[in-house]
Amino acid sequence: MIKISNLDFAYKNSQVFKNISLEFKKGNIYGLLGENGVGKTTLLKLICGLQKPVHGSVTVDGLTPSMREPQFLQNVYFLPEEVITEDTTPEKFVQKIGVFYPRYDFALFNQLMKELEVDLTKKFNELSHGQKKKALLACAMSLQTDYLFLDEPTNGLDIPSKALFRKVISQYCSDETTVIISTHQVKDVENLIDPIVILDRDDVLMNASFAEITDKIYFEYGPERLQNAYYTEMLPGGYINVMPNTEHLESNVNIEALFNAVMKNKETIKNLMK
Amino acid sequence: MNNTFNIQRFGKILKHDGLNFFPNFILSLAILWAIPVVIYLFTALMPTDGTVHIYDAMARINNIDFLLKIAIIIAPAILYKTCNDSRKGIGYAMLPASTLEKFLSMVIFCVIVTPIVYIAGALAIDSILALINGPYDGFALSMYFDKFSQIEYSFEQHGTKVMVDDALPLIISNLSPAFMRVLSILGTLMLSSIFMFGNMIFKKRKTGKMIGILILLFIIFMIIFINYVANNEAFANYFEQINEDNVSEFIIRLIRIMMNVAMYTEIVVSAVLLWGIYRKIKTQKY
Repeated sequence: MIKISNLDFAYKNSQVFKNISLEFKKGNIYGLLGENGVGKTTLLKLICGLQKPVHGSVTVDGLTPSMREPQFLQNVYFLPEEVITEDTTPEKFVQKIGVFYPRYDFALFNQLMKELEVDLTKKFNELSHGQKKKALLACAMSLQTDYLFLDEPTNGLDIPSKALFRKVISQYCSDETTVIISTHQVKDVENLIDPIVILDRDDVLMNASFAEITDKIYFEYGPERLQNAYYTEMLPGGYINVMPNTEHLESNVNIEALFNAVMKNKETIKNLMK
Repeated sequence: MNNTFNIQRFGKILKHDGLNFFPNFILSLAILWAIPVVIYLFTALMPTDGTVHIYDAMARINNIDFLLKIAIIIAPAILYKTCNDSRKGIGYAMLPASTLEKFLSMVIFCVIVTPIVYIAGALAIDSILALINGPYDGFALSMYFDKFSQIEYSFEQHGTKVMVDDALPLIISNLSPAFMRVLSILGTLMLSSIFMFGNMIFKKRKTGKMIGILILLFIIFMIIFINYVANNEAFANYFEQINEDNVSEFIIRLIRIMMNVAMYTEIVVSAVLLWGIYRKIKTQKY
Protein backbone atom coordinates (compact mmCIF):
# COMPACT_ATOMS: atom_id res chain seq x y z
CA MET A 1 0.00 0.00 0.00
CA ILE A 2 1.13 3.54 -0.72
CA LYS A 3 0.58 5.89 2.17
CA ILE A 4 1.04 9.63 1.90
CA SER A 5 0.73 11.53 5.17
CA ASN A 6 0.67 15.29 5.67
CA LEU A 7 2.77 15.82 2.60
CA ASP A 8 4.23 19.23 1.83
CA PHE A 9 6.20 19.73 -1.31
CA ALA A 10 7.47 22.76 -3.18
CA TYR A 11 9.80 23.50 -6.08
CA LYS A 12 11.91 26.48 -4.97
CA ASN A 13 9.23 29.20 -4.77
CA SER A 14 6.28 27.22 -6.04
CA GLN A 15 4.18 25.26 -3.56
CA VAL A 16 2.80 22.05 -5.09
CA PHE A 17 1.29 20.13 -2.16
CA LYS A 18 0.24 21.45 1.20
CA ASN A 19 -0.51 18.95 3.93
CA ILE A 20 -2.12 16.31 1.74
CA SER A 21 -2.83 12.78 2.88
CA LEU A 22 -3.74 9.97 0.55
CA GLU A 23 -3.70 6.18 0.26
CA PHE A 24 -3.38 3.89 -2.73
CA LYS A 25 -4.53 0.36 -1.97
CA LYS A 26 -2.90 -2.67 -3.53
CA GLY A 27 -4.24 -4.36 -6.66
CA ASN A 28 -6.10 -1.39 -8.18
CA ILE A 29 -5.67 0.59 -11.34
CA TYR A 30 -5.82 4.19 -10.17
CA GLY A 31 -6.56 7.10 -12.42
CA LEU A 32 -4.69 10.17 -11.25
CA LEU A 33 -6.54 13.09 -12.74
CA GLY A 34 -6.04 16.81 -12.58
CA GLU A 35 -5.56 19.89 -14.65
CA ASN A 36 -2.16 20.67 -16.15
CA GLY A 37 0.35 21.71 -13.55
CA VAL A 38 -1.46 20.50 -10.42
CA GLY A 39 1.34 18.07 -9.56
CA LYS A 40 0.34 14.69 -11.01
CA THR A 41 3.87 13.96 -12.23
CA THR A 42 5.36 15.37 -9.04
CA LEU A 43 3.18 13.05 -6.97
CA LEU A 44 4.36 10.07 -9.01
CA LYS A 45 7.98 11.21 -8.60
CA LEU A 46 7.50 11.50 -4.84
CA ILE A 47 6.08 7.98 -4.73
CA CYS A 48 9.01 6.71 -6.81
CA GLY A 49 11.61 8.46 -4.65
CA LEU A 50 12.76 10.76 -7.43
CA GLN A 51 11.78 13.68 -5.23
CA LYS A 52 11.80 14.03 -1.46
CA PRO A 53 8.95 15.53 0.59
CA VAL A 54 9.64 18.85 2.31
CA HIS A 55 7.44 17.74 5.22
CA GLY A 56 5.35 14.67 5.87
CA SER A 57 5.98 11.19 4.60
CA VAL A 58 5.51 8.87 1.66
CA THR A 59 5.78 5.13 2.22
CA VAL A 60 5.34 2.22 -0.16
CA ASP A 61 4.77 -1.07 1.66
CA GLY A 62 6.43 0.55 4.67
CA LEU A 63 9.54 1.58 2.73
CA THR A 64 10.61 5.17 2.19
CA PRO A 65 10.99 5.78 -1.56
CA SER A 66 13.51 8.63 -1.27
CA MET A 67 15.99 6.18 0.32
CA ARG A 68 16.08 4.44 -3.09
CA GLU A 69 16.82 1.07 -1.58
CA PRO A 70 17.02 -1.90 -3.97
CA GLN A 71 14.20 -3.67 -2.09
CA PHE A 72 11.93 -0.76 -2.99
CA LEU A 73 13.28 -0.11 -6.48
CA GLN A 74 12.87 -3.70 -7.66
CA ASN A 75 9.14 -3.48 -6.95
CA VAL A 76 8.36 -0.26 -8.77
CA TYR A 77 8.62 0.98 -12.31
CA PHE A 78 8.01 4.53 -13.49
CA LEU A 79 7.30 5.22 -17.13
CA PRO A 80 7.70 8.98 -17.67
CA GLU A 81 5.60 10.95 -20.09
CA GLU A 82 8.58 11.94 -22.20
CA VAL A 83 9.94 9.10 -24.27
CA ILE A 84 13.66 8.78 -23.62
CA THR A 85 15.30 5.82 -25.24
CA GLU A 86 18.72 4.40 -25.77
CA ASP A 87 20.39 3.62 -29.07
CA THR A 88 19.38 -0.01 -28.92
CA THR A 89 16.47 -2.32 -29.60
CA PRO A 90 13.66 -2.64 -27.03
CA GLU A 91 14.68 -6.30 -26.72
CA LYS A 92 18.26 -5.48 -25.70
CA PHE A 93 17.05 -2.69 -23.45
CA VAL A 94 14.67 -4.91 -21.51
CA GLN A 95 17.29 -7.65 -21.24
CA LYS A 96 19.73 -5.14 -19.80
CA ILE A 97 17.41 -3.83 -17.09
CA GLY A 98 15.31 -6.97 -16.63
CA VAL A 99 18.01 -8.81 -14.68
CA PHE A 100 17.46 -6.42 -11.77
CA TYR A 101 13.79 -7.33 -11.39
CA PRO A 102 12.99 -10.67 -9.74
CA ARG A 103 9.78 -11.37 -11.69
CA TYR A 104 10.96 -10.12 -15.09
CA ASP A 105 9.57 -12.30 -17.87
CA PHE A 106 11.11 -12.08 -21.32
CA ALA A 107 8.41 -14.29 -22.86
CA LEU A 108 5.81 -11.85 -21.57
CA PHE A 109 7.77 -8.99 -23.15
CA ASN A 110 7.68 -10.73 -26.52
CA GLN A 111 3.98 -11.41 -26.15
CA LEU A 112 3.26 -7.79 -25.21
CA MET A 113 5.29 -6.49 -28.13
CA LYS A 114 3.23 -8.70 -30.40
CA GLU A 115 -0.04 -7.57 -28.80
CA LEU A 116 0.99 -3.94 -29.10
CA GLU A 117 2.11 -4.49 -32.69
CA VAL A 118 5.66 -3.21 -32.25
CA ASP A 119 8.48 -4.45 -34.47
CA LEU A 120 10.93 -6.38 -32.28
CA THR A 121 13.89 -6.02 -34.58
CA LYS A 122 13.95 -2.24 -34.90
CA LYS A 123 16.00 0.07 -32.74
CA PHE A 124 14.17 2.65 -30.64
CA ASN A 125 15.31 5.49 -32.90
CA GLU A 126 13.78 3.73 -35.90
CA LEU A 127 10.36 3.58 -34.22
CA SER A 128 7.70 6.30 -34.26
CA HIS A 129 6.85 8.15 -31.05
CA GLY A 130 3.77 6.00 -30.45
CA GLN A 131 5.68 2.80 -31.21
CA LYS A 132 8.41 3.81 -28.75
CA LYS A 133 5.79 4.43 -26.08
CA LYS A 134 4.23 1.03 -26.69
CA ALA A 135 7.64 -0.67 -26.64
CA LEU A 136 8.48 0.99 -23.34
CA LEU A 137 5.10 -0.06 -21.97
CA ALA A 138 5.87 -3.66 -22.94
CA CYS A 139 9.27 -3.36 -21.21
CA ALA A 140 7.65 -1.90 -18.09
CA MET A 141 4.93 -4.54 -17.88
CA SER A 142 7.30 -7.46 -18.48
CA LEU A 143 9.21 -6.48 -15.34
CA GLN A 144 6.08 -7.44 -13.37
CA THR A 145 6.71 -5.05 -10.53
CA ASP A 146 4.19 -4.63 -7.72
CA TYR A 147 3.77 -0.97 -8.60
CA LEU A 148 3.61 0.49 -12.07
CA PHE A 149 3.43 4.25 -12.50
CA LEU A 150 2.45 5.55 -15.92
CA ASP A 151 2.67 9.27 -16.59
CA GLU A 152 0.41 10.35 -19.44
CA PRO A 153 0.83 6.99 -21.16
CA THR A 154 -1.66 7.67 -23.95
CA ASN A 155 -0.13 10.94 -25.12
CA GLY A 156 1.00 10.50 -28.68
CA LEU A 157 -0.81 7.21 -29.23
CA ASP A 158 -3.20 6.86 -32.14
CA ILE A 159 -6.78 5.66 -31.56
CA PRO A 160 -6.13 1.93 -32.18
CA SER A 161 -3.04 2.11 -29.96
CA LYS A 162 -5.08 3.65 -27.14
CA ALA A 163 -7.46 0.69 -27.35
CA LEU A 164 -4.49 -1.70 -27.32
CA PHE A 165 -3.08 0.13 -24.32
CA ARG A 166 -6.33 -0.35 -22.38
CA LYS A 167 -6.44 -3.99 -23.45
CA VAL A 168 -2.93 -4.92 -22.30
CA ILE A 169 -3.23 -3.05 -19.01
CA SER A 170 -6.50 -4.74 -18.10
CA GLN A 171 -5.42 -8.16 -19.42
CA TYR A 172 -1.80 -8.45 -18.31
CA CYS A 173 -1.65 -6.64 -14.97
CA SER A 174 -2.00 -9.14 -12.16
CA ASP A 175 -4.44 -8.69 -9.30
CA GLU A 176 -1.50 -7.89 -7.05
CA THR A 177 -0.21 -5.06 -9.21
CA THR A 178 -1.04 -1.48 -8.36
CA VAL A 179 -1.09 0.75 -11.39
CA ILE A 180 -1.32 4.52 -11.17
CA ILE A 181 -2.09 6.20 -14.46
CA SER A 182 -1.63 9.93 -14.47
CA THR A 183 -3.56 11.59 -17.24
CA HIS A 184 -5.59 14.60 -18.22
CA GLN A 185 -7.11 12.71 -21.13
CA VAL A 186 -9.78 10.96 -19.12
CA LYS A 187 -11.54 9.39 -22.09
CA ASP A 188 -8.44 7.35 -22.85
CA VAL A 189 -8.62 5.51 -19.56
CA GLU A 190 -12.38 5.15 -19.28
CA ASN A 191 -13.42 1.59 -18.34
CA LEU A 192 -9.87 0.94 -17.21
CA ILE A 193 -9.35 2.90 -14.04
CA ASP A 194 -11.02 2.41 -10.69
CA PRO A 195 -10.59 4.19 -8.25
CA ILE A 196 -10.11 7.79 -9.26
CA VAL A 197 -7.91 10.37 -7.57
CA ILE A 198 -8.50 13.98 -8.54
CA LEU A 199 -5.80 16.46 -7.63
CA ASP A 200 -6.14 20.18 -7.35
CA ARG A 201 -3.52 22.80 -6.59
CA ASP A 202 -2.28 22.05 -3.05
CA ASP A 203 -5.12 19.61 -2.49
CA VAL A 204 -6.72 16.20 -3.14
CA LEU A 205 -10.33 16.67 -4.18
CA MET A 206 -11.30 13.02 -4.50
CA ASN A 207 -9.94 9.54 -3.87
CA ALA A 208 -12.81 7.13 -4.38
CA SER A 209 -13.80 3.95 -6.15
CA PHE A 210 -16.57 3.93 -8.75
CA ALA A 211 -18.88 2.26 -6.22
CA GLU A 212 -18.25 5.02 -3.70
CA ILE A 213 -18.74 7.67 -6.37
CA THR A 214 -22.04 6.29 -7.67
CA ASP A 215 -23.22 5.83 -4.11
CA LYS A 216 -23.09 9.59 -3.64
CA ILE A 217 -23.22 11.01 -7.13
CA TYR A 218 -25.78 10.24 -9.80
CA PHE A 219 -25.09 10.52 -13.52
CA GLU A 220 -28.36 11.26 -15.21
CA TYR A 221 -28.70 11.11 -19.00
CA GLY A 222 -31.82 12.98 -20.03
CA PRO A 223 -33.41 15.39 -22.44
CA GLU A 224 -33.01 18.46 -20.23
CA ARG A 225 -30.59 20.44 -18.10
CA LEU A 226 -31.41 19.96 -14.41
CA GLN A 227 -31.26 22.85 -11.99
CA ASN A 228 -29.78 21.02 -8.99
CA ALA A 229 -26.98 19.38 -10.99
CA TYR A 230 -23.36 19.95 -10.03
CA TYR A 231 -22.52 19.97 -13.68
CA THR A 232 -24.42 19.64 -16.91
CA GLU A 233 -23.09 19.00 -20.36
CA MET A 234 -24.79 18.69 -23.66
CA LEU A 235 -24.28 15.35 -25.37
CA PRO A 236 -25.62 14.09 -28.69
CA GLY A 237 -29.28 13.37 -28.00
CA GLY A 238 -29.56 15.14 -24.66
CA TYR A 239 -27.73 16.13 -21.52
CA ILE A 240 -25.65 14.50 -18.85
CA ASN A 241 -26.38 15.84 -15.40
CA VAL A 242 -24.02 15.11 -12.53
CA MET A 243 -26.03 15.45 -9.34
CA PRO A 244 -26.21 14.33 -5.73
CA ASN A 245 -27.51 10.77 -5.43
CA THR A 246 -30.10 11.46 -2.78
CA GLU A 247 -32.35 8.61 -3.85
CA HIS A 248 -29.56 5.97 -4.09
CA LEU A 249 -30.12 5.35 -7.75
CA GLU A 250 -27.70 3.31 -9.81
CA SER A 251 -25.75 4.90 -12.65
CA ASN A 252 -22.53 4.62 -14.65
CA VAL A 253 -19.67 7.01 -14.01
CA ASN A 254 -18.84 9.38 -16.82
CA ILE A 255 -15.29 10.32 -15.88
CA GLU A 256 -15.11 13.47 -17.94
CA ALA A 257 -18.38 14.80 -16.56
CA LEU A 258 -17.34 13.79 -13.04
CA PHE A 259 -14.00 15.58 -13.43
CA ASN A 260 -15.69 18.75 -14.65
CA ALA A 261 -18.28 18.54 -11.86
CA VAL A 262 -15.52 18.23 -9.26
CA MET A 263 -13.62 21.15 -10.75
CA LYS A 264 -16.74 23.35 -10.61
CA ASN A 265 -17.78 22.30 -7.10
CA LYS A 266 -14.49 21.60 -5.39
CA GLU A 267 -15.43 22.03 -1.76
CA THR A 268 -18.97 20.62 -2.10
CA ILE A 269 -17.91 17.37 -3.73
CA LYS A 270 -14.80 17.06 -1.57
CA ASN A 271 -17.00 17.24 1.55
CA LEU A 272 -19.61 14.93 -0.01
CA MET A 273 -17.01 12.21 -0.66
CA LYS A 274 -15.41 12.40 2.79
CA MET B 1 17.60 -8.31 1.67
CA ASN B 2 20.85 -6.41 2.04
CA ASN B 3 20.06 -2.93 0.80
CA THR B 4 23.63 -1.66 1.06
CA PHE B 5 25.68 -4.18 -0.87
CA ASN B 6 24.96 -7.47 -2.56
CA ILE B 7 27.63 -9.09 -4.71
CA GLN B 8 25.17 -10.47 -7.27
CA ARG B 9 23.46 -7.13 -7.67
CA PHE B 10 26.85 -5.46 -7.92
CA GLY B 11 27.73 -7.86 -10.72
CA LYS B 12 24.53 -6.84 -12.50
CA ILE B 13 25.26 -3.12 -12.25
CA LEU B 14 28.82 -3.73 -13.44
CA LYS B 15 27.44 -5.60 -16.44
CA HIS B 16 24.86 -2.87 -17.04
CA ASP B 17 27.49 -0.12 -16.97
CA GLY B 18 29.85 -2.31 -19.00
CA LEU B 19 27.26 -2.68 -21.75
CA ASN B 20 27.12 1.13 -21.89
CA PHE B 21 30.91 1.49 -21.74
CA PHE B 22 32.05 0.22 -25.10
CA PRO B 23 29.39 1.59 -27.45
CA ASN B 24 29.47 5.02 -25.83
CA PHE B 25 33.15 5.47 -25.11
CA ILE B 26 35.00 3.47 -27.72
CA LEU B 27 34.85 6.24 -30.35
CA SER B 28 36.44 8.74 -27.94
CA LEU B 29 39.13 6.22 -27.04
CA ALA B 30 39.72 5.48 -30.73
CA ILE B 31 40.39 9.18 -31.35
CA LEU B 32 42.91 9.21 -28.50
CA TRP B 33 44.51 6.02 -29.83
CA ALA B 34 44.75 7.59 -33.28
CA ILE B 35 46.75 10.61 -32.11
CA PRO B 36 50.09 8.71 -31.74
CA VAL B 37 49.46 7.16 -35.16
CA VAL B 38 49.09 10.64 -36.65
CA ILE B 39 52.31 11.73 -34.88
CA TYR B 40 54.03 8.61 -36.20
CA LEU B 41 52.97 9.30 -39.77
CA PHE B 42 53.95 12.94 -39.42
CA THR B 43 57.41 11.96 -38.11
CA ALA B 44 57.88 9.23 -40.70
CA LEU B 45 56.77 11.29 -43.66
CA MET B 46 58.43 14.56 -42.68
CA PRO B 47 61.01 15.58 -45.34
CA THR B 48 64.53 15.37 -43.94
CA ASP B 49 67.98 16.50 -44.96
CA GLY B 50 69.22 12.96 -44.51
CA THR B 51 69.01 12.88 -40.71
CA VAL B 52 66.80 10.18 -39.21
CA HIS B 53 64.08 11.33 -36.84
CA ILE B 54 64.02 9.17 -33.78
CA TYR B 55 60.94 9.06 -31.62
CA ASP B 56 62.13 7.18 -28.56
CA ALA B 57 60.06 5.01 -26.24
CA MET B 58 60.21 7.22 -23.15
CA ALA B 59 58.96 10.25 -25.04
CA ARG B 60 56.11 8.11 -26.39
CA ILE B 61 55.29 6.93 -22.89
CA ASN B 62 54.99 10.57 -21.82
CA ASN B 63 52.57 11.14 -24.70
CA ILE B 64 50.57 8.04 -23.77
CA ASP B 65 50.37 9.30 -20.17
CA PHE B 66 49.21 12.72 -21.35
CA LEU B 67 46.47 11.19 -23.51
CA LEU B 68 45.55 8.88 -20.63
CA LYS B 69 44.83 11.96 -18.54
CA ILE B 70 42.53 13.22 -21.29
CA ALA B 71 40.75 9.85 -21.34
CA ILE B 72 40.27 10.05 -17.57
CA ILE B 73 39.01 13.64 -17.79
CA ILE B 74 36.40 12.93 -20.46
CA ALA B 75 35.30 9.47 -19.23
CA PRO B 76 32.69 10.49 -16.59
CA ALA B 77 30.92 12.98 -18.86
CA ILE B 78 30.65 10.37 -21.61
CA LEU B 79 29.90 7.26 -19.58
CA TYR B 80 27.58 8.82 -16.98
CA LYS B 81 26.48 11.90 -18.90
CA THR B 82 22.77 11.64 -18.14
CA CYS B 83 22.79 10.27 -14.61
CA ASN B 84 21.93 13.65 -13.04
CA ASP B 85 19.62 14.80 -15.83
CA SER B 86 16.10 15.47 -14.57
CA ARG B 87 14.55 13.54 -17.47
CA LYS B 88 17.20 11.24 -18.90
CA GLY B 89 18.58 10.26 -15.51
CA ILE B 90 15.36 8.69 -14.22
CA GLY B 91 16.24 5.26 -15.60
CA TYR B 92 19.59 5.29 -13.80
CA ALA B 93 18.07 6.48 -10.51
CA MET B 94 15.32 3.84 -10.64
CA LEU B 95 17.69 0.97 -11.42
CA PRO B 96 17.33 -1.50 -8.52
CA ALA B 97 20.86 -1.29 -7.13
CA SER B 98 22.06 0.45 -4.00
CA THR B 99 23.81 3.81 -4.02
CA LEU B 100 27.03 2.09 -2.93
CA GLU B 101 26.84 -0.38 -5.82
CA LYS B 102 26.16 2.36 -8.37
CA PHE B 103 28.96 4.47 -6.90
CA LEU B 104 31.50 1.63 -6.92
CA SER B 105 30.60 0.71 -10.47
CA MET B 106 31.07 4.34 -11.55
CA VAL B 107 34.46 4.47 -9.80
CA ILE B 108 35.56 1.16 -11.32
CA PHE B 109 34.71 2.26 -14.86
CA CYS B 110 36.16 5.77 -14.56
CA VAL B 111 39.23 5.05 -12.42
CA ILE B 112 40.19 1.49 -13.34
CA VAL B 113 38.57 0.29 -16.58
CA THR B 114 39.15 3.51 -18.55
CA PRO B 115 42.93 3.64 -17.87
CA ILE B 116 43.35 -0.11 -18.42
CA VAL B 117 41.47 -0.12 -21.73
CA TYR B 118 43.19 3.05 -22.92
CA ILE B 119 46.71 1.93 -21.94
CA ALA B 120 46.18 -1.57 -23.39
CA GLY B 121 45.07 -0.10 -26.71
CA ALA B 122 47.77 2.58 -26.77
CA LEU B 123 50.57 0.13 -26.01
CA ALA B 124 49.24 -2.35 -28.56
CA ILE B 125 49.22 0.34 -31.25
CA ASP B 126 52.67 1.50 -30.18
CA SER B 127 53.99 -2.07 -30.42
CA ILE B 128 52.57 -2.52 -33.91
CA LEU B 129 54.13 0.76 -35.06
CA ALA B 130 57.45 -0.11 -33.40
CA LEU B 131 57.56 -3.36 -35.40
CA ILE B 132 57.59 -1.35 -38.62
CA ASN B 133 60.96 -0.03 -39.66
CA GLY B 134 60.31 3.65 -38.93
CA PRO B 135 61.07 6.45 -36.51
CA TYR B 136 60.02 4.47 -33.41
CA ASP B 137 62.95 3.46 -31.27
CA GLY B 138 62.18 0.62 -28.87
CA PHE B 139 58.88 -0.63 -27.51
CA ALA B 140 56.92 1.57 -25.06
CA LEU B 141 55.39 -1.65 -23.74
CA SER B 142 58.74 -2.92 -22.49
CA MET B 143 59.34 0.22 -20.43
CA TYR B 144 55.85 1.41 -19.50
CA PHE B 145 55.40 -0.46 -16.26
CA ASP B 146 58.95 0.30 -15.22
CA LYS B 147 58.82 3.96 -16.13
CA PHE B 148 59.36 5.23 -12.59
CA SER B 149 62.81 3.62 -12.59
CA GLN B 150 63.63 6.04 -15.40
CA ILE B 151 63.39 9.19 -13.29
CA GLU B 152 66.83 10.33 -14.39
CA TYR B 153 65.52 10.49 -17.91
CA SER B 154 62.56 12.64 -16.86
CA PHE B 155 64.76 15.18 -15.17
CA GLU B 156 67.02 15.39 -18.19
CA GLN B 157 64.03 15.86 -20.44
CA HIS B 158 62.39 18.65 -18.50
CA GLY B 159 65.04 21.36 -18.63
CA THR B 160 65.99 21.25 -14.97
CA LYS B 161 69.27 19.55 -15.73
CA VAL B 162 71.47 22.61 -15.08
CA MET B 163 69.75 23.32 -11.79
CA VAL B 164 69.84 19.79 -10.47
CA ASP B 165 72.96 18.54 -12.10
CA ASP B 166 74.83 17.95 -8.87
CA ALA B 167 71.74 16.89 -7.00
CA LEU B 168 70.57 14.39 -9.60
CA PRO B 169 71.97 11.20 -8.04
CA LEU B 170 70.62 12.29 -4.65
CA ILE B 171 67.14 13.03 -6.03
CA ILE B 172 66.99 9.72 -7.82
CA SER B 173 67.95 7.84 -4.70
CA ASN B 174 65.34 9.79 -2.71
CA LEU B 175 62.38 9.23 -5.03
CA SER B 176 61.81 5.52 -5.08
CA PRO B 177 59.88 4.01 -8.00
CA ALA B 178 57.41 2.56 -5.49
CA PHE B 179 56.67 6.00 -4.04
CA MET B 180 56.33 7.49 -7.51
CA ARG B 181 53.98 4.69 -8.50
CA VAL B 182 51.76 5.38 -5.47
CA LEU B 183 51.83 9.07 -6.26
CA SER B 184 50.85 8.38 -9.85
CA ILE B 185 47.95 6.11 -8.85
CA LEU B 186 46.71 8.69 -6.34
CA GLY B 187 47.04 11.36 -9.01
CA THR B 188 44.89 9.31 -11.37
CA LEU B 189 42.32 8.80 -8.62
CA MET B 190 42.23 12.53 -7.83
CA LEU B 191 41.95 13.56 -11.46
CA SER B 192 39.14 11.08 -12.02
CA SER B 193 37.37 12.11 -8.79
CA ILE B 194 37.45 15.77 -9.81
CA PHE B 195 35.79 15.09 -13.14
CA MET B 196 33.35 12.50 -11.76
CA PHE B 197 32.29 15.12 -9.23
CA GLY B 198 31.96 17.73 -11.97
CA ASN B 199 29.85 15.25 -13.91
CA MET B 200 27.50 14.92 -10.94
CA ILE B 201 27.11 18.63 -10.15
CA PHE B 202 26.86 20.11 -13.63
CA LYS B 203 24.08 19.34 -16.08
CA LYS B 204 25.70 20.69 -19.25
CA ARG B 205 29.26 21.30 -20.49
CA LYS B 206 30.42 19.30 -17.51
CA THR B 207 34.10 18.86 -18.41
CA GLY B 208 34.55 22.42 -19.61
CA LYS B 209 33.00 23.89 -16.48
CA MET B 210 35.17 21.72 -14.27
CA ILE B 211 38.33 22.75 -16.13
CA GLY B 212 37.25 26.38 -15.70
CA ILE B 213 36.80 25.88 -11.97
CA LEU B 214 40.21 24.22 -11.69
CA ILE B 215 41.90 27.12 -13.52
CA LEU B 216 40.10 29.59 -11.24
CA LEU B 217 41.10 27.66 -8.11
CA PHE B 218 44.69 27.47 -9.34
CA ILE B 219 44.83 31.24 -9.90
CA ILE B 220 43.33 31.94 -6.46
CA PHE B 221 45.72 29.49 -4.83
CA MET B 222 48.74 30.98 -6.57
CA ILE B 223 47.78 34.54 -5.59
CA ILE B 224 47.36 33.47 -1.95
CA PHE B 225 50.55 31.41 -1.98
CA ILE B 226 52.73 34.07 -3.63
CA ASN B 227 51.39 36.72 -1.26
CA TYR B 228 52.09 34.48 1.69
CA VAL B 229 55.65 33.67 0.58
CA ALA B 230 56.43 37.27 -0.35
CA ASN B 231 55.26 38.62 2.99
CA ASN B 232 56.73 35.91 5.15
CA GLU B 233 60.07 36.78 6.74
CA ALA B 234 60.92 33.17 7.53
CA PHE B 235 60.82 32.29 3.84
CA ALA B 236 63.02 35.27 2.94
CA ASN B 237 65.59 34.27 5.57
CA TYR B 238 65.51 30.70 4.37
CA PHE B 239 66.12 31.64 0.75
CA GLU B 240 68.99 33.93 1.76
CA GLN B 241 70.81 30.98 3.28
CA ILE B 242 70.90 29.11 -0.03
CA ASN B 243 74.30 29.10 -1.65
CA GLU B 244 76.29 26.90 -4.01
CA ASP B 245 77.22 24.49 -1.23
CA ASN B 246 73.74 23.71 0.02
CA VAL B 247 71.64 24.11 -3.13
CA SER B 248 71.46 20.31 -3.64
CA GLU B 249 70.22 19.79 -0.11
CA PHE B 250 67.68 22.59 -0.60
CA ILE B 251 66.34 21.10 -3.83
CA ILE B 252 66.03 17.65 -2.31
CA ARG B 253 64.19 19.06 0.70
CA LEU B 254 61.92 21.10 -1.57
CA ILE B 255 61.11 18.10 -3.76
CA ARG B 256 60.42 15.94 -0.72
CA ILE B 257 58.04 18.55 0.70
CA MET B 258 56.32 18.93 -2.66
CA MET B 259 55.93 15.18 -3.07
CA ASN B 260 54.48 14.79 0.41
CA VAL B 261 52.12 17.74 -0.05
CA ALA B 262 51.06 16.26 -3.40
CA MET B 263 50.42 12.86 -1.83
CA TYR B 264 48.33 14.18 1.07
CA THR B 265 46.48 16.59 -1.21
CA GLU B 266 45.63 13.73 -3.58
CA ILE B 267 44.38 11.57 -0.71
CA VAL B 268 42.28 14.30 0.92
CA VAL B 269 40.84 15.75 -2.32
CA SER B 270 39.98 12.27 -3.66
CA ALA B 271 38.32 11.21 -0.40
CA VAL B 272 36.23 14.39 -0.14
CA LEU B 273 35.14 14.32 -3.78
CA LEU B 274 34.33 10.59 -3.74
CA TRP B 275 32.15 11.18 -0.69
CA GLY B 276 30.49 14.06 -2.55
CA ILE B 277 29.83 11.83 -5.58
CA TYR B 278 28.28 9.15 -3.35
CA ARG B 279 26.02 11.72 -1.65
CA LYS B 280 25.02 13.18 -4.99
CA ILE B 281 24.02 9.76 -6.38
CA LYS B 282 21.99 9.13 -3.23
CA THR B 283 20.20 12.46 -3.03
CA GLN B 284 19.93 13.61 -6.65
CA LYS B 285 16.42 14.89 -7.40
CA TYR B 286 14.78 14.31 -10.76
